[in-house]
Amino acid sequence: MIPKIEYFSPVNLTELLKLLDRHQQAAKIIAGGTDIIAGFHQGSARFKGIKYLIDLNWIDELKKVELSSDGIVIGSAASFSEILKNELINHHFPLLSTAASRVGSVQIRNRATIGGNFVNNAPCADSVPALLVYDAEIRIRSVEAERAVSLADFLLKPYQTQLRSDEVVTQIRLPFLSENYLGDFYKLGRRRGVAISRITLAVLMKLVESKIDDIRIASGAVTPIGKRFVSLEQFARGKTVSDHLYRELARMLGNEILDATGLRWSSAYKLPVVQQTFYQQLQHIYQTGNLR
Amino acid sequence: MTIELNFTINEKKITLKTEPNRRLLDILRQELNLTGTKEGCAIGECGACTVVMNGKAVNSCLVLAPQINGAEILTVEGLEKDQRLHFLQENFLKHGAVQCGFCTPGMLMSAYALLSKNPNPTEAEVKEAIAGNLCRCTGYKQIIDAILETEGDIK
Ligand SMILES: Cc1cc2nc3c(=O)[nH]c(=O)nc-3n(C[C@H](O)[C@H](O)[C@H](O)COP(=O)(O)OP(=O)(O)OC[C@H]3O[C@@H](n4cnc5c(N)ncnc54)[C@H](O)[C@@H]3O)c2cc1C
Ligand code: FES
Ligand code: FES
Repeated sequence: MIPKIEYFSPVNLTELLKLLDRHQQAAKIIAGGTDIIAGFHQGSARFKGIKYLIDLNWIDELKKVELSSDGIVIGSAASFSEILKNELINHHFPLLSTAASRVGSVQIRNRATIGGNFVNNAPCADSVPALLVYDAEIRIRSVEAERAVSLADFLLKPYQTQLRSDEVVTQIRLPFLSENYLGDFYKLGRRRGVAISRITLAVLMKLVESKIDDIRIASGAVTPIGKRFVSLEQFARGKTVSDHLYRELARMLGNEILDATGLRWSSAYKLPVVQQTFYQQLQHIYQTGNLR
Repeated sequence: MTIELNFTINEKKITLKTEPNRRLLDILRQELNLTGTKEGCAIGECGACTVVMNGKAVNSCLVLAPQINGAEILTVEGLEKDQRLHFLQENFLKHGAVQCGFCTPGMLMSAYALLSKNPNPTEAEVKEAIAGNLCRCTGYKQIIDAILETEGDIK
């Protein structure tokens, strides 16, 4: 059951920010509602004590996807369907398109927003590893101020972020990459269609004459929150690619994941799968040379 | 809190007053007596509650009533015209795509949303379009065949 609530439909940011400021913890933002309405139904503790719902759907500027001088700006309330059909994103940030295509079903993608996906910081949020390898920066507004923070810093712990109760995420900004990045996004669920992710990995790599000039690796689902593997990336930079190196990187990734999660009942299954997947991704990126 | 909703359903303009904590699904079934739309899981997983909202398939169990203000909604009741089944529905019957029938309204609406954007879908596109609709009876093959046969202008 959805609790008794008051509902607000602000039509611009100023109105929205005033409402958030006035109601603070008693208010919750609703965007696509796919998380919050299902959460109400299941009696989720994350959505207890809400008196006011403030809807983002009537604020056009939060749904736009636009070019900026150095990248693209995605409105936080853009749906995954909109992201999926956006040519700019598809062309410049294809791993995000792939991730969007793997979210839920058509019906879910038509409602679910990208902002709502990472604001809850559920480990299974599929947009997160893709956004992390693209060095996403997010913009946050309150009545008093606007702030910019990297997505990596924004995500604190499972189901916990830097967001304060008087704040809204307005934009996700992705800076353009220099040429020649290759990449891959992988999602494993319990079944192929409409499945909660068990393992997600995003990899971007730039090779210059068989040397790794840059590499970015991010996980979701298999770690407590989506994260980049910074020390592994550092280790790999400057090295010449080879089957041996891929195996070494895969082994190291396994260790880093084990460090992040601790040993779990599922580790015996998941770790080898992650390692093998990552190894295949690296091979695949090298062999096909496809930016995927 | 009572709110007023203005929207179009199956080409009819509707105005009604309700509470904001209701779902589109509740408005359809309880206020408008349009019980073709089914409630299965209530959490977006089964697709039995699928309707077409502003041209897109959505789970009506996950749309908050006030979010439909100004929207155009099509439910399974809106498919037949002048007491005649839509040929998408005819094809479901022809291919044996209806067994218990609980998933059928949602399946039809997902298929309708697909075909109205993409009149000649591939089998893969059909499967993608109904991936959010569970059927426990047919095994899907009959449903996919029925949708594939319904190509061309569906309106
Ligand atoms: C059947 C089903 C399948 C799913 N499958 C997947 C899947 O495969 N992959 C996946 O990643 N997710 C999946 N999800 C989860 C969900 O759809 C996504 O996390 C979705 O992106 C949430 O966005 P929303 O707009 O619907 O959020 P809402 O439910 O509207 O909001 C979620 C939370 O975020 C807050 N919020 C939303 N937008 C903002 C903002 N701009 N600023 C501040 N706070 C905000 C809300 O207050 C709320 O706490 C699935 C959900 C369902 C029901
Ligand atoms: S009842 Fe809405 S998806 Fe199952
Ligand atoms: S016909 Fe029974 S669930 Fe599909």
